[in-house]
Amino acid sequence: MEALKQTLKQQIIEALNLQDTKPEDIDDKAPLFGEGLGLDSIDSLELMVLLERHYQIKVEDPREGRKILQSVQSMAEFIQSKQPA
Amino acid sequence: MAERVLITGMGMITAIGETVTANLHSLTHQHSGLGFTRFIDTIYKEVLPVAEVKYSNEELARMAGVPGQPGYTRTSLLGLIAIQEALQQAGIRDMQQEPTGFINASTVGGMCDTEKVYFDIIDPEKEGDFLRYIDTLDCADCTQRIADRTGINGFVTTISTACSSSANALMYGARLIKQGLARRVICGGTEALTSFTINGFNSLKNIDKQACRPFDHNRNGLNLGEGAAYLVLESESLVKQHGSRVLAELSGYCNSNEAFHPTAPSPEGDGAYTAMKEALAMSGRSIDQVQYVNVHGTATWPNDLSEGRALERLFGSEVPPFSSTKPFTGHALAAAGAIEAIYSVLAIQHRLIFPNLNFAEKMEELSIVPETRLLEEQAVTTVISNSFGFGGNNASLVISKYEG
Amino acid sequence: MAAITPQHSFEGDLFAQPLRSNTGNLLQVTEPDYKAFIPPNSLRRMSRLLKMGLTAAQQCLRDSSLGVPGAIITGTGKGSLQDTERFLKDIRQYGEKALNPTPFIQSTYNAVNGMIAVAQQCTTYNNTFVHRGFSFEHALLDSILQLQEGAPHTLTGALDEMSEEHFYIKSRIGYWKKEPVDNVQLYNTLSPGTIAGEGAVFFSLSATPTAHTYAHITGLKLLYKPAVAGISAGLSAFLQEQQLAVEDISLVITGRNGDSNFEHFYTELDKVLGTVPQLPFKHLCGEYETSGAFAVWLAAHIMKAQQLPQQWFPMQADFPAAGFQRILIYNHFFGEQHTFVLLER
Repeated sequence: MEALKQTLKQQIIEALNLQDTKPEDIDDKAPLFGEGLGLDSIDSLELMVLLERHYQIKVEDPREGRKILQSVQSMAEFIQSKQPA
Repeated sequence: MAERVLITGMGMITAIGETVTANLHSLTHQHSGLGFTRFIDTIYKEVLPVAEVKYSNEELARMAGVPGQPGYTRTSLLGLIAIQEALQQAGIRDMQQEPTGFINASTVGGMCDTEKVYFDIIDPEKEGDFLRYIDTLDCADCTQRIADRTGINGFVTTISTACSSSANALMYGARLIKQGLARRVICGGTEALTSFTINGFNSLKNIDKQACRPFDHNRNGLNLGEGAAYLVLESESLVKQHGSRVLAELSGYCNSNEAFHPTAPSPEGDGAYTAMKEALAMSGRSIDQVQYVNVHGTATWPNDLSEGRALERLFGSEVPPFSSTKPFTGHALAAAGAIEAIYSVLAIQHRLIFPNLNFAEKMEELSIVPETRLLEEQAVTTVISNSFGFGGNNASLVISKYEG
Repeated sequence: MAAITPQHSFEGDLFAQPLRSNTGNLLQVTEPDYKAFIPPNSLRRMSRLLKMGLTAAQQCLRDSSLGVPGAIITGTGKGSLQDTERFLKDIRQYGEKALNPTPFIQSTYNAVNGMIAVAQQCTTYNNTFVHRGFSFEHALLDSILQLQEGAPHTLTGALDEMSEEHFYIKSRIGYWKKEPVDNVQLYNTLSPGTIAGEGAVFFSLSATPTAHTYAHITGLKLLYKPAVAGISAGLSAFLQEQQLAVEDISLVITGRNGDSNFEHFYTELDKVLGTVPQLPFKHLCGEYETSGAFAVWLAAHIMKAQQLPQQWFPMQADFPAAGFQRILIYNHFFGEQHTFVLLER
């Protein structure tokens, strides 16, 4: 789980071109949208692309996506829940 | 006093008909144009419904009177068919009699044809006829093809403001007339389906896999469409001079911006509210004189919420019948504003209010529901037509019965 | 005004900037530091043309200090090529699955307009023209209409970029010279094709002059696919509308570009102009759809300073004396869209 979260942070930074952000700047539980990193709805679509490209997980409904993409923690939990044990 | 701007001719082709009359027939018989594409090469061929014009490019070229002539993209052919009907209806045979402008609208120009050969175009190893499509990549190509074929001899230009493009073209044409820079301008837009736009809207996750459901609680996105529509706008003095038949008046318009987000409207519908309010003020009509609103109603989750709130803010508890005709035509992007402006004229001419198909459940955020039946024998004298687009671009038109 | 162009046009004293020369037939803009104009959270997603456009727009508003504009109107021939190219390639590369939405959104021709509106919180009129060599000039005409309709001032701009890929595409149908040309020698090498360029140029236009005003745009005439004789007839008609004689023009800035396919339009113009001094500008910015905006920007600087940036015209043997009352711009885009713009002091 820890390793997954680290990888995710790196992937988020790359996908969204967060130039001045380092993985350690992103708190696992901090909200990604609004307050936190200041991401918006287009970023949320970009993060869904990330999930599909890197983890083969397709999120169809943008509203469902918002719940999954709340934080690095929630993303990691979602990815784990989708992967075969 | 500034000239009044009158509509003297209309022409169109959409998935529900290749003439204005054929469109009216489909609207009144509730025949939707949605189905699966025959002409686009995409993995979504049998997944995402579209409202495609039922003719191949070869058939369209024959209908447009340019059979076998190379270089006409589908965008140009659709436009050519629509403008020829508009000219005929307005009784314009000789362009030389009166300088005639052409304000066209397009979102992706000739992409429908260039996307098929783009990778050949950029490959130095490849040579061939496809090189002639290079100049059709931009939005001006279709405009000039149509202008040259029909002998347009006034202002020629193209507007691209995404889904509100042709509403803005109508507005610009009307302003050129009001300011005395032209007496006759043909305005509208043309749009052909492309893999580019299907994939684009799909990447935004706002295409419904079912037929779109505007203003429904369970709406899940739009369906793309294609087509072309043009309206002949003339100054009142030119109409009087020629004794032309007037179909309706373009009595008000407003373009306002959300200044909110690249692709989403503000939740309270600020831009839509302002556009409708200002357009109505310009037309000199009050809210109780509006009998019908042809809404933008794309059936995306944010649009319908925002537009619905704007309707409630403007009309309070007296929201007039409203419907989205996009379940008939799909969202024809640059052509949508002009298609729906023509439907607004038809509503006035034929005393009709068109149904909003596929509606089942009221949105919980709103107290209003769209009109789902075809209403006949309605005294429709003033209609608002909305077109909203990316970049927060909102355009509202007010179309009124011409009382002379 | 503000201009991001192949010259050092964005900052500093124009009349002290050296000429940038180039021999590759593609003049690319000198990019400023965008960070000073666009917040990092917005900048991270933006492609090149969007950065150019938004930055030129912001700098223009700083320069005019007129505040939030009453209308935002732009012209662009090609929109964001980088995004269009990327989305086309993504569709192919990823087999239409899991595509990034950003290039699609930014490929929309009015993307820059929308971003300026958000940055300025400008909720009024917003429009984008996309018609080759008329794109900027119709934006200008629309702005003039807006001012007459009561807008206090408009933000009016033009933006186009040229990518390596698109440069190659257009080379396949003869847009550019086959042989490499030094831009300074452009007018001495009359042969088929010209050199490519790009730029983002914005103007604040107001109905009444301010202490900061550069020039007064007094006339605009657009001709679509005229015959060659239509150029001289068009100019004569334009001057007549303006109640001017040829001698009333102090300087003519022309779009001459060394392209032998279309040189005859300029030769035709020479007949009417006689001895009125002329200056070309395409060696400075290259040929592109909205290059007319570069010419207006240059003319407005000359008018305000009553001085020429002589260092930018090494090919010119002598220069007209100062005292520029009226500057006429004549330009066309590959023989199709012809434009006259008149500026007065």
